[in-house]
Amino acid sequence: MSQMVRAFRPTVDKDKCVKCGNCQTYCPEGTVMLRDGEEVVFDYRFCKGCGVCANECPVDAISMVKEA
Amino acid sequence: MEINRQFDEYYENSYIQGGTACCPGCGGPLFWRMTLEALGPKTIIYGDGPCAYCAIRNIKLPNFGIHFSFVADGSTGILAALAAKGREDITVVSSGGDGAIGDISFGKVSAAAERNENMIQICVDNEAYMNTGIQKSGLTPFGAWTTTTPLGKEAPKKEIPLIIAQHRVPYVATTSVAYPRDLQAKLKKASGIQGFKYLHTVIPCPTGWRFDPAKSVEVVRLGVETWVWPLYEIEGGVLRVTLKPKQRPVEDYLKAQNRFRHLSDDQIKFIQSETDTRRKRLLENDGKRIIL
Amino acid sequence: MSFTRMMEGNEAAAWGARLSRAEVVPAYPITPQTEVISHIATFIAEGKMKAQYIKVEGEHTAMAAAVGASVAGARVFTASASQGIAYMEEALWMPPGRRLPIVMCMVNRALAPIGGLRPDHNDSLMQRDNGWIQLYCENSQEVLDTIIMAYRIGEDRRVYLPVAPCYDGYFVSATATPTTVPDQAEVDEFLPPYVHEMYSLMPETYRPRPFEMNIAKGRYEVQQAHERAKAVIEEVDVEYSKRFGRGYDGLLEEYACDDVDAVLMTMGSMTGTARDVVDEMQASGKRIGLLKLRGFRPFPTEELQGLAKRFHAIGVVDRNTSYGSAGGGIVSMEVARALYPLEDRPLLLNFHVGLGGSDVTMRQIGYMADKTLEAVEKGRVEKAVDWVELVDLGEVM
Repeated sequence: MSQMVRAFRPTVDKDKCVKCGNCQTYCPEGTVMLRDGEEVVFDYRFCKGCGVCANECPVDAISMVKEA
Repeated sequence: MEINRQFDEYYENSYIQGGTACCPGCGGPLFWRMTLEALGPKTIIYGDGPCAYCAIRNIKLPNFGIHFSFVADGSTGILAALAAKGREDITVVSSGGDGAIGDISFGKVSAAAERNENMIQICVDNEAYMNTGIQKSGLTPFGAWTTTTPLGKEAPKKEIPLIIAQHRVPYVATTSVAYPRDLQAKLKKASGIQGFKYLHTVIPCPTGWRFDPAKSVEVVRLGVETWVWPLYEIEGGVLRVTLKPKQRPVEDYLKAQNRFRHLSDDQIKFIQSETDTRRKRLLENDGKRIIL
Repeated sequence: MSFTRMMEGNEAAAWGARLSRAEVVPAYPITPQTEVISHIATFIAEGKMKAQYIKVEGEHTAMAAAVGASVAGARVFTASASQGIAYMEEALWMPPGRRLPIVMCMVNRALAPIGGLRPDHNDSLMQRDNGWIQLYCENSQEVLDTIIMAYRIGEDRRVYLPVAPCYDGYFVSATATPTTVPDQAEVDEFLPPYVHEMYSLMPETYRPRPFEMNIAKGRYEVQQAHERAKAVIEEVDVEYSKRFGRGYDGLLEEYACDDVDAVLMTMGSMTGTARDVVDEMQASGKRIGLLKLRGFRPFPTEELQGLAKRFHAIGVVDRNTSYGSAGGGIVSMEVARALYPLEDRPLLLNFHVGLGGSDVTMRQIGYMADKTLEAVEKGRVEKAVDWVELVDLGEVM
């Protein structure tokens, strides 16, 4: 599973998020979903922590935090 | 867990399983997700070749590959079988990397274009033989570092889209994962055309181009904005530039990747002037027939 | 309606493909195969054969296209020779490993350099390790019949292997002999449509190729398919012979071997000449018989071991070379291995002849037979490997 190789994992600040869907659109693995157009969720089973979602977020709502 | 189930459903509906063996930030799986969404389930994908296979292996639609020396060959056979069975309702996509299409399968793609095979031939171009450890290909750009061009590649990049267009195929286009609407529109258009369609797409490679994976989409966006990677289509020999961004200096693109770190000012100037010429020629011929 | 007329091997091959209702034909010309694909093109143009004809730009592509078409569920036919077979080498490993029952005629032609356009068997024998079934045909009739049987053999669910009917360029491909073309309806009854049970590429029924992660296991499966193929080849031959009146004894045919001291083993068109020579020699009291090796792969090891107790020496005729080998030509080394476990082994002689397609004459066959009989007399082999063409036998015939 990806948590073995992932150094950083994405987390979202729901207050900042404007639900544009960029993160879902540009995630290379498809492991980010704007669920029901409302809430950004991540599939940590397969996320690699590449950080594209955080980079493409226009309002910096996503941060990459170090894996525990 | 509910969220896992929802993601599993999402992967089913996207026709590609999340969690490929590709490098973090690789544009490959991103390209396929956008492409498969545009094409739908009545599609057979033919493709192999090292990097690409890491993504293709996760595709849930029927897929098959041989080696990258056989680009367009197996798909030619698949098309013949489908014709024999009366299944011309199925879209056949053939995929190859830059090493495949630029080098080892160059003749194959040319021949399939000459036969006007009814396939969408895609080039997933990460500008070097990446899976074998970053070696130069015919589509590596001038000046790029690779392990076989440690001082920077001396020769220019082969201009495959124009070469294929001159085969008089009905449709040729360039696409970028940073512009998904443009990409999907072109794929949808291609799937509605009979004959050989060629789509060349840049695939950002954090590993071989040497940049932080988080910048993957940003880098190819810069490529388009600097006109190093212009977005255009050639339909029936007529050129149409599909995006005309305000031109940014190539330095913005080059400085974003360590594979260009060693370039001298003169070399950057050279790349800028080549890019300017390319932009000028494209805009001059926009809307015109550009093949003989 | 069945009919008989003079027909060259290449035309007979085209008829074989047509009667087998091949659906996809990747075609690239190479001497001495070209007429196969041009006859097929004519059949299709005249509406007499319904197949997708792909005019590929090279043999490497031809075999890859064959693989793609076969995976997608079509019955595939193609043909090549010599340099073409060498060029498609990389692709040739695909069909056996992926269990695809493609039929490809290998119209034998010597490989360059020190080769030319005329036949020897290195081009097909060079493929002996990759899992293709190889059946060597003596004349046009056998080519036609073998192609039809090849699909029955390869598409049998116990087998799922590609089959190469091999035949000599010029001597078979371009020599007209009386050939009976069976009735299409009869062939249809003998050969049902192609269905692959292991995988499907259609969106509705997509079944990915079963992939064995354990390489040894995966390869062993292909080996076992070859083992099973031996019985299937015999079965199909018997059924074909019952229905069409012509059979070829499966993998190994004995000719005039009832009461002999020694045998020659031949492969390909020279067998026809050898039959005449053996008849003549037996008429003058010489106790020499003939074995026709039809199936080189799978090699009829058990069958040969069973026959071996009936003669004291075997002269294996190799129309091929294997530089630096353990001893002699390719067929003789297979025979040596097959006979090795026997307590009472016949003496083994090996003859290189007909290299580069030079004619194998009656005189040369007589010489080889005499040498083999001599070994029985003396109780030993004087010359284990004999390059017959370097021996001065006087006048050619």
